[in-house]
Amino acid sequence: MLPLPLANILHHKLRSALAMLGVAIAVCMLVTLSGLSRGSLEEIADRWQAVDADMIVYPATWGENITTVSGGGMGDADISRILALTAAEKPPATAASQQGVASAGDAALDANRTVTGETPVEHMGETPMLRTASAPAKPLFERVVPVFIYQVAIGKDRHNVVGVRPEDLPILLGKNGFDAGRVFDPQNSFAQWVTQRLAKQSDEVIDLSDELAKHGGLEMVIDSRLARVIKAKVGSNIHAAGHDFTVTGIVHEGGLARGFIALDSAEVLFNGRLGRYTLLFAKLTPGVEMGQAMQAVRATKRLTAVGTSEYRGMLQQQFGVMYTYVDLVNLITLIVAFLFILVTLYTMVIQRTREIAILKSMGASRGYILRGVVAESLLLTCIGAAAGIGMSFGAGWLIERVKPLLTVTITPHWLVIGAAAAIVGGTVSALYPAWCAMRVDVIEAINLE
Amino acid sequence: MTRSNDYILEARGLHKSFGSGPARVHVLRGLDLHVHRGEFLAIMGPSGCGKSTLLHVMGLMARTDEGSVCIDGADVSQLGESHQAEIRRRQIGFIFQRFNLISVLSGYDNVKLSLAIRGLGSEGVQELLQSMDVAGVAFRKPGQLSIGQQQRLAVARGIAHNPAILLADEPTGSLDSANATELLGLLSRTNQERGQTIVMITHSDEAARAASRVVHMRDGRIFEHA
Ligand SMILES: Nc1ncnc2c1ncn2[C@@H]1O[C@H](COP(=O)(O)OP(=O)(O)O)[C@@H](O)[C@H]1O
Ligand SMILES: [Mg+2]
Repeated sequence: MLPLPLANILHHKLRSALAMLGVAIAVCMLVTLSGLSRGSLEEIADRWQAVDADMIVYPATWGENITTVSGGGMGDADISRILALTAAEKPPATAASQQGVASAGDAALDANRTVTGETPVEHMGETPMLRTASAPAKPLFERVVPVFIYQVAIGKDRHNVVGVRPEDLPILLGKNGFDAGRVFDPQNSFAQWVTQRLAKQSDEVIDLSDELAKHGGLEMVIDSRLARVIKAKVGSNIHAAGHDFTVTGIVHEGGLARGFIALDSAEVLFNGRLGRYTLLFAKLTPGVEMGQAMQAVRATKRLTAVGTSEYRGMLQQQFGVMYTYVDLVNLITLIVAFLFILVTLYTMVIQRTREIAILKSMGASRGYILRGVVAESLLLTCIGAAAGIGMSFGAGWLIERVKPLLTVTITPHWLVIGAAAAIVGGTVSALYPAWCAMRVDVIEAINLE
Repeated sequence: MTRSNDYILEARGLHKSFGSGPARVHVLRGLDLHVHRGEFLAIMGPSGCGKSTLLHVMGLMARTDEGSVCIDGADVSQLGESHQAEIRRRQIGFIFQRFNLISVLSGYDNVKLSLAIRGLGSEGVQELLQSMDVAGVAFRKPGQLSIGQQQRLAVARGIAHNPAILLADEPTGSLDSANATELLGLLSRTNQERGQTIVMITHSDEAARAASRVVHMRDGRIFEHA
């Protein structure tokens, strides 16, 4: 036997289809917009977390959220400071020594940028307190990767382009390797040339950016996703920040940024000055505890650090307002869809008082009448929600096709919320029509012509 | 009590009025009616005299202002709504002048729905539809059936759950004479073969002749003779 609620839905095909469509659109919007807003952020967070480092070190004055930072807020002295931290001794924390370090770092262009843990001695001269402390002790960090982050328009969109030394690039890529080509300026020839040049003529004002191209400074590695979007291959030209870069390699998407260039090129182009960095990615010496290292960094007062995994939380916090808007829009759409269901059911009840009266004359209980209306509503909303979920996969696919830089992540979490909204909304919007149905006067309705 | 139990259905001193003030219509005025178990009773009376009202009150679809309705000797008129619904499910079947089949369901599903509401399975439905000569068309929706077929399906729906009492409100009122004759034959057979108690309201003398007893309604009361 065809259940009565289903029979009624099939009988009013157009009206039922429209009601279902309303729910489908609302659920599709819910799942897709949430998947889009969260998915795109999660994709960024995933890329930051892919970096093969334990911490992000940055100046304490930047506050708690570093998701929008760029430019050169850090100097070579900060690298020294981090590499000098040791497990044995309390890190230097007096105001005097800090100022000393900071000014020393800012004063000179430190050509000798050795940043591996084995040779921190070079910088010890700047921090007398550290020299005595760190001689026998184990360094907390085995590697520090300075990066210079800058937002640059490439094609139609703005992207973070990250300046990094060629040997450090694998750290930023994590598990993602080259799909094609090679790293930019592999011999670091631009850096060497700049170093020599500056050593020779320190007073002369040189516009280094003119020399970039000649010395391998205008090469760029991009990720496969950006390559797809701007249709670039190895050897292609990319116009960015007023220069033409040559694509030397394409790395598999998933690394820190969409574009990578030589650290010195980034500094010259975006900062006009060498020895300045946006952030440091730091890798702990094996056996060192995260908490201990974090404390040591914070104790420098000038610097602070977060775990690379904490970047996700910062992003979510930064864009929390956007989530609120998206959720609000979704909520309104859902409410409208369910009001539509309510009106549809109400109309159905009004048109069907005779049928309800017949059911009652046969002894159908109030519960039976209520269940009938709720079942009809749930059929509409659940089929609508299922269609909406199907549509959201289609919409996600379409969005990523049309706007390949966006990521729509349809998570089970939001599918469950979509389904739950359909069930709760379907039930709630059925209650008033069901109440009207239960109150139908049998005699009046049966006598109705 | 012995005497009481001879009657499957009794109306005692029923009063029912509609409206208030000068517009008040006093429809039932101390009405008494005794229906024997297994009889086919016809109630005749002029239009607007309150026959339908009486049927609704006896079928527990409307409440009486005064008096009582007894089924199998038990007063059921004061029971709560859900108890009365339960009695409608177990003991009462209705046939209406306008059939009142559910239009979105097939004839067969109309009968099955009635059984489902009563918590019964659909065993024997096919035989019942065959005996009503509608088995072949029962998969159709009411709109695709002739009025005669519709009313026979309505009868099948009204008796499928073996109610103690079948209440029929002018069941031939919408039928042409051929269909009316066939339906009356069907009701007589149902009464005789299944021992089904039937209370039928009718305008027509032909319908009344099909019944085993005829009573008349006038001025809100029942009289044995016209
Ligand atoms: N729900 C109602 N409200 C007001 N008046 C009613 C109602 N039902 C019936 N009546 C009145 O009661 C009288 C009897 O009606 P009814 O029982 O339908 O008569 P019959 O079935 O004998 O033609 C009529 O005058 C009718 O107008
Ligand atoms: Mg009537």
